Amino acid sequence: MSYAELCVTSNFTFLTGASHPEELIVRAIELGLSAIAITDRNSLAGVVRAYRALKELRRDMENTIRIRSQHQVDQCSRQEVGQSSPITRPDTTHLPKLIVGCRLVLRDSAVDWIALPCNRAAYQRLTRLLTLGKRRAEKGECHLDRADLLNGCSGIILIALPKDGLNDALPDIQQIQRRYPGYVFLGAAPRYNGSDRAWLDQCAGLALRASAPMVAVGDVLMHRANRRQLADVLTCMREHITIDQIGTRALPNGERRLKGHADMLRVFRDHPAALRRTLEITARCSFDMRELSYEYPDEISEGETPQARLERLTRDGLNRRYPTGAPQRVHDLVDKELKLVAELGFSAYFLTVYDIVGFARSQSILCQGRGSAANSILCYLLGITDVSPDQIAMVFERFISKHRGEPPDIDVDFEHERREEVIQWIYEKYGRHRAGLCATVIHFRSRAAIREVGKVMGLSQDVTAGLSGQIWGQSNGGADPDRIRELGLDPTDRRLAQTIRLIGEIIGFPRHLSQHVGGFVITKGRLDELAPIENAAMEDRTIIEWDKDDIDTLGILKVDVLGLGMLSCIRRAFDLMRDHEGHDLSIAAIPQEDGATYDMLCIADAVGVFQVESRAQMNFLPRMKPRTFYDLVIEVAIVRPGPIQGGMVQPYIKRRQGLEKAEPFGPALEAVTRRTLGVPLFQEQALQIAVVGAGYSAEEADHLRRSLASFRRMGTIGEHRDKFIAGMRANGYSQEVAERCFGQIEGFADYGFPESHAAAFAMLAYVSAWLKCHYPAVFACALLNSQPMGFYAPAQIVRDAREHQVEVRPICVNASHWDNTLERRADGALALRLGFRQIKGFKEEEAGWIVVARGNGYPDPESVWLRAGVAPAVLERLAEADAFTDMGLTRRDALWQVRAIRGQAPLPLFNDPIDGESIHEPHVALPLMHLGEEVVEDYVSMRLTLRAHPMELLRPTLPGLTPHDKLATAPLGRVSVCGLVITRQRPGTASGVIFLTLEDETGVSNVVVWPKTYERFRRVVMGGRLLRVTGHLQREGIVVHLIAQQIEDLSPRLSDLGHPMESAIDQTTPKTDTAPRPLPLPRATHPRDQAKRLFPSRDFH
Amino acid sequence: MWFPRLASDRVLRTHLIEGPFALTFRQANADRLHCLNTAAEQCGLHRGMSFADARAFCPDLQSQAADPIGDRRFLHVLRRWVTRYCPWVGVEGENGLVLDVTGSTHLFGSEAMMLADMRQRLVRAGLDARIGLGDTRGAAWALAHYGEGTAEAGAPHAALAGLPVAALRIEDETVIALQRLGLRTIGALERAARSPLARRFGPALLLRLDQALGRQPEQITPLVEPPHYGVRMNLPEPIGLFDDVMAGASRLLDRLCAKLKAQEAGARVLCLTLRRVDQEAQTVELRLASPLRDAIRILPLFERGVGEIDAGFGIDQIRLEAVQVEPLPVQQISHVSSGRVDQLGDLITRIGTRIGLENVQRFLPADSHIPERSFIIAAAAYSEPGEPWVAQRPRPVRLFPPEPIAGTGSRPPRQFRWRRMSLSTARATGPERIAPEWWLSDDNWRSGIRDYWHVETRQGRRLWLFYTPQNPGWFVQGEFA
Repeated sequence: MSYAELCVTSNFTFLTGASHPEELIVRAIELGLSAIAITDRNSLAGVVRAYRALKELRRDMENTIRIRSQHQVDQCSRQEVGQSSPITRPDTTHLPKLIVGCRLVLRDSAVDWIALPCNRAAYQRLTRLLTLGKRRAEKGECHLDRADLLNGCSGIILIALPKDGLNDALPDIQQIQRRYPGYVFLGAAPRYNGSDRAWLDQCAGLALRASAPMVAVGDVLMHRANRRQLADVLTCMREHITIDQIGTRALPNGERRLKGHADMLRVFRDHPAALRRTLEITARCSFDMRELSYEYPDEISEGETPQARLERLTRDGLNRRYPTGAPQRVHDLVDKELKLVAELGFSAYFLTVYDIVGFARSQSILCQGRGSAANSILCYLLGITDVSPDQIAMVFERFISKHRGEPPDIDVDFEHERREEVIQWIYEKYGRHRAGLCATVIHFRSRAAIREVGKVMGLSQDVTAGLSGQIWGQSNGGADPDRIRELGLDPTDRRLAQTIRLIGEIIGFPRHLSQHVGGFVITKGRLDELAPIENAAMEDRTIIEWDKDDIDTLGILKVDVLGLGMLSCIRRAFDLMRDHEGHDLSIAAIPQEDGATYDMLCIADAVGVFQVESRAQMNFLPRMKPRTFYDLVIEVAIVRPGPIQGGMVQPYIKRRQGLEKAEPFGPALEAVTRRTLGVPLFQEQALQIAVVGAGYSAEEADHLRRSLASFRRMGTIGEHRDKFIAGMRANGYSQEVAERCFGQIEGFADYGFPESHAAAFAMLAYVSAWLKCHYPAVFACALLNSQPMGFYAPAQIVRDAREHQVEVRPICVNASHWDNTLERRADGALALRLGFRQIKGFKEEEAGWIVVARGNGYPDPESVWLRAGVAPAVLERLAEADAFTDMGLTRRDALWQVRAIRGQAPLPLFNDPIDGESIHEPHVALPLMHLGEEVVEDYVSMRLTLRAHPMELLRPTLPGLTPHDKLATAPLGRVSVCGLVITRQRPGTASGVIFLTLEDETGVSNVVVWPKTYERFRRVVMGGRLLRVTGHLQREGIVVHLIAQQIEDLSPRLSDLGHPMESAIDQTTPKTDTAPRPLPLPRATHPRDQAKRLFPSRDFH
Repeated sequence: MWFPRLASDRVLRTHLIEGPFALTFRQANADRLHCLNTAAEQCGLHRGMSFADARAFCPDLQSQAADPIGDRRFLHVLRRWVTRYCPWVGVEGENGLVLDVTGSTHLFGSEAMMLADMRQRLVRAGLDARIGLGDTRGAAWALAHYGEGTAEAGAPHAALAGLPVAALRIEDETVIALQRLGLRTIGALERAARSPLARRFGPALLLRLDQALGRQPEQITPLVEPPHYGVRMNLPEPIGLFDDVMAGASRLLDRLCAKLKAQEAGARVLCLTLRRVDQEAQTVELRLASPLRDAIRILPLFERGVGEIDAGFGIDQIRLEAVQVEPLPVQQISHVSSGRVDQLGDLITRIGTRIGLENVQRFLPADSHIPERSFIIAAAAYSEPGEPWVAQRPRPVRLFPPEPIAGTGSRPPRQFRWRRMSLSTARATGPERIAPEWWLSDDNWRSGIRDYWHVETRQGRRLWLFYTPQNPGWFVQGEFA
C-alpha cells in the first residue's frame, strides 16, 4: 500500500508555504510516496521547480546507478565497451510521480478547489482559466468565480476543501458535481486538534450527501515539522504583525507536514477507502510536464522557409561585412553553423532576433547582441552583434549542442530609455496571446530577510539596519556572529539566535513574482495554453508565471530584450557627434584598434568608460596595459569576484608582464587556454578543459557547469572532483595539474563569465573609450545626460572633463537647456554647458517652459516668472544654482530678488513693468558671498562646483599635506594627504580591507585601510567626509597606494567654509560607497527639508 | 531660564553615571538620541543621531529610554520651585521657563545677585541651566539660548546685535534663508530696510525682531495652579460618636463632590483625615473600583473605615481629600443606564476595602494556543471586561499546574492514580497536539509538545490529560465540569 499526497502548498504560495518544492520532492522520496501534487494557490509557479528537481534526480540516478566496475572505456576510441547490466533500484529511491495542479481559491465559494488536470487538453483549460482570473485582477491577484469553474474545467479532477463549516460547503459541491460528474471529490484533511475522528466522520457524511467520494489529503504546508517556526514568521509577514501578536494565528503544532503512508493510515484508519482513492486519482492524472511540446513561431515570410531566408540573409551579410570577399575560413564556419542550425531547427529563432534588431535599427535605437549564441558568425553577419568571431575564440558548439537539446541564448541590449518601444513592437507583432515576458522570482536576499524577519521578531529598526549594514556588499551568507558581536549585540541571546537562524532559513525563499527584465517567450499557438499569464505591475505588460530557469527546463525559447544605460549614452554621443561634428557614427563604424585609445586606457584614464571605470579596474589597467581588443575582453572578465577568488589574477598579470612563463598544462589544453596565457578565465574554457582534459562529454561538462553553480548549496562537488581528477589522470596529467585545474574551475563556479558576454561588453568599453579619447566634451556631455548610470557622480565626470581641457560653462537661464549641451567656442573647440538637469529637484517640464519662452533672453528674474510661468520656488532653485549671473546678478542678489516674488501666478494689474510703475524698494546692501560660501552653495544646489575645490580653500590652514598630483613623484615613505571621500568600498573579495578614494583639487589618491587600522579608526572611516590620512606610500608602476596608519576626520573643518549647510559636500553615491548609510539624519541639508526634520537642533553657538 | 539637558540631567540626578550617557527616543521604529550629557557630546554624538550609529561611534555609551512625560512633570516641578523668585512664571517650550522678575529683584539684592543665587541653587541641584535676562521676553530668550548674559535695561541692542538670527525664535527655514542672504546677526537684520524684509519673509520675522528689541509687547502667561480637591471642617466641640463623624463626612463629601462635578472629575482614592484634640491624626483611605463623585454612593463605603477609628478624647477637625482623581465627563442619564455595572463597582470596592483592591481580579481572554496563556488575570478595578470568550476547542473549567501520573505509551492509561484516587478510563478523545510557542522560552513547556486527551473516567470525573511524546510522561492539567 502506498499513499499519494494531493494537496501540498509550496513556498510559491508566497508568504504561506514554508518549504521549497525541491525539499518537498526529496522528502516525498524519503517517505516513499507514490505521487505528490504541488498545488499552489492559483499558481503553477512551484510545479516547474518540482518537475525540475525530479528530472535532475532521475538523471542523477541514471548516472550513478551503473555499476562502476562494469563500465569500461576503450582508450583509443573513447567508446564504452563491454556490457553493463542495470541493477534494480532499491525502494528508497523510487521516485514519486509529480501531479501538476493548483489550488483554486474562488471569490464566492465556501470551498477551495484542488484542480488536477488529467491530460494535456485539461491542462490547457486550467492555464486558460488561471489566465482569465489573473488578467482580470491586479498584479499577483487572481479573481475567479464559481461561474468560471463551471465554464471551463472539464477533464480536471476537482477536490473540494471546505474552508470553515461543512454545511456551507454542500451546495457548492453539489453544483459542481452536477456539472462535472465523476470528477468531483471531497478532500478530508486531518486537523490534529483532538476531534479528528468526529471530523472525518462528518466529512464522510458530507461526501455521501454530495455524492463526491471522500479522498484523504494532508493539506501540507511544510516538508518537515521544523519549518513550523518559519511558517509562523511567514504568517506574521503576511499579516503585518510581530511574532508576539500572532496568538492563535500561529500553527498550533507541526503536523501540517508531509506524511507517509503509515502516519496517514493511523489518522484514516476508519476510512481506508479515502487513502486508496488518492492512488486512483493519481492513476487518472496522466499529464506530465514533458508533454508541453512547445512550438516556436515559424517566421515564414512571403512563402520563404525560415532556413532559406536565414541562408539568404547570411549571404547578404557576407557581402556587407566582407566587401572584399570573405576568407575561406569564414565560409567554412558559415556552412558549419548553418548546417547545425538547420539540424536543430533553430533558424526561426535567429530570424526573430534579426527582425527585432531590424526594427530597432529602423527606429535608430542602438542595440547589441550578446549571450552564448550571439557571437557566432551568423549573428555577426545578420548584424545582431558587431563583434566578429575573429576577435574572440568562441566555440560554436558551446551554446548549440546537439546533446544538450537546450535552446540557444541570444540577449539583445537596447538603449534603456527606448527599450519599451521594442517591447511594445513585439507585443504588437505577435499579439498578446502569443507573446509574454517571463517572470523573475524575487527571492529573499540577506538584506530583505534581515529586515523582514527582524521586524517580525520585534528587533528595532536600528538593530536590523545594523545587522544588514554589517554585511557590506551583496551576499547571501546571512549574519556572521563576529559581526553581530561587533555591533554590540549578544549572539547567544535566545531571541536573536532564533532570528538569525530564521534569517538563514528564509534566504532563498521566493517573495513575489516580478517581471523579468526582458525575456520574451513567443509561441506559435496560444501562449495561455502553455502557462498562466498575469498582469505585470507596469502598464501594458503581461508576464507568464515561470522564470527563465523554468523555461530552460521545459525547453522553451526566449529572446532577451534588455536595457543598457551605456547604449543610451553612446547613442547620445553619436547624436551629438552628428549635430556638432557632422560625423554619422555607429558602433561598427568606430575605427578598431586605435592606438591613442589604448594609450589612454593604459594610464587608467577611464572615468566613465563602460565596465573599466571602477576602482579595481583602474588599478588593473596600468598593469594589464591593454593593446588590443582581446585584452579588453580579458580585462572585463578578469576583475570579477570569480577569477579573483579563484586566484587567477596574479598568475595572469605575472605572465602578461613576462615575469612568469605561461603554463598551458600540456599541449592538448594549450589550444584552450593559449589566448588567456594558460589561465582559464571564461566559462567556456572551463567546459573545454573538462572535455579535452578530463574526457567529459559535452553534456557531462555542461552538467558540471550547472552543478558547480550550485555546489555550495547541494554539496555535490566532491563526486565531480574525483571524477574530474580521475579523468585528467587518465589522460596523462599529473595529480598536481589536475588539482590545480579543478581548483581554478571551482573558483569561478558562482560567477563564471562567458566569453561572449565579455566580448560584447568589451566592444562597448572600447567604443566609449574611443569617444572619451577623441571627443572628451561629447563624451562627458552624453554621460552627464545619461545619469544616473555608471560609477561616478557628476562632480567627478565634470572634473575629469576639465582635466581633459574641456571648458565647462555654468548653468545659465539664458543659455542652458534641460540636458547638458555643447557650445562651439571661437577657437573651434567644444565647450560643455551645464543643463538644468544638474540642479537638484528641478523638473524637466519647468526647464522646458523656460527654454520655450526664452526668445532673445530674459532681462531679469521677474521676466522668467512672467514669461515662462514657473513657480517662485523654481526661480529660487535657479537662483540657488547661480543661474542668473548672466543678468549681472550675484547669487545672493538673485536670491533676494526672487524671494520677493511670492505669488503663484502674476496678477494682471501689476503685470506690466514697462512704465516703471512696479514697486520701488529701498536698496538693501547684502554682504558679498565669499568663495567658501559660493562653493558650498554650488554643492547644495548641484552637488558639484566649477569654482574651487573645498580642499583648495582649506589647504592654507592644513600644513604638511602632500597634494595628490605630487604622490606619483613624492619620495616613498610617510606622507599625509587630505581630501573628500569619493569612494569607500569593502569588497567581499578583499577580506576586510577597505579602499578609500580621496579627492583634492589636484586629483585623487587611493588609500588602503587594513582591518587593524580600520578597527582603530572605525568611526572616522565609516562616517567621515573629509579625511586626513597619514601612511606609507607604495608605488607599482603608475599605481600609487597609500597604506593608512593614521586617519583623522576633518569634516568639521568644512564648516570653516562659512556656510550653514556645509554638510551638502558629500559626493559619494551608494555605488561608490558601500559603507552602511546612516539612517537619514534629521539634520536637514536643505531649507526645503527643514520642515520635515524631527529634532530641532539647539546647538549652542 | 533654559535647561539644555533637562532630560538627561533629571535621570543623572537620581543615579550618577560616569562617562558618556544618552537618553534614547523611539521614533518611526528607530531609536534616536534624545538628550545627552557633556561627555557624550564630546564623543561627537549629537541629538537626533540614530542610536545604533552612536554606539558604533562610541561603544561605551550608556543609555536609557527617554520619558517625555516625566520630563514635562519635572519641568512643572521646577516651575513651582522658581516661584520663590517671582510669582509670574510660565513654561517655555519643552525645557525652558520664563520669569517676569519685574519688581522682585530687589528682594535678592540686585539682578546680578538674584542670577547668582539661581545659578548656585541649580548647580547644586545638578541641573545645567542657562539664564538670560532682558527687558523683553524675546531678549531674555535670545540671551539664554545664544549668549547667556544680561541685556542692559533700555538698551538691548548692545547685547543682542551680535547674536545669530536664530536667536529670534523664528522658523528654521527662515533662519537658513537669512543666513544664505548673508544676514547672519540680529544687528545685520536690524540694519536692513524693513519693507523688503517684510515682503520676503512676511510679518512674523519683523514681529519677532520687534519683540526682542522691545518695540512690541509680549506677555508671559503664568500657569494656573491645578485645582485642589480637599475640603476640611473645624469643629467647635470635639465629637466622638460614629454617627457624628459620618454626618461630618457627609457634609464634606457634598462639598467635595460639587467641586469634582465642576471639574468633570471623579475620585479614585479618597482620604479622610480625622484630627483628634491631642493632635494625633487618623486616616481612613478609601480606594474605589471606578471613578466616582456620587456622595450617596461613596458615603456608605466609609462606614467600615470610620467604625475602626479610635476617637480618643474627641475629634476636632475633619479633612477630606481626593488623592487620586480621574476625568469623569458628565453623561446623559437614561432609563436604560447600567445600574448593574455600578453595583458591581460598589461590590468590588466593598470587598476591596477588606482584602485590598488589587486582590479582586478578573479573567480576560488572551490570544494563544497554549492553555495557560489563553487567559490573563487582571485587577478588576483597573481593567474593563474583555471580549466574549471564543473557545476554539472545549477547555476544562478548572485548570491547574500539571500533575504527573503514572502511565506509558501514547494512549491514555487505562488505570491511573491521581490525587490519591484510583481512576479508570472509560472514554478518551484526542489527541489534540499543541506545540510550545517557540518564540517564548517557557519553563513549563520544556518537555516539548503535548498531546491533550479528554478523558472520561468510570468514576465520573472528566479530566484533561496530556502526554509529552518528546519526554514521555503523563500529566493531568484540568478538570471539566
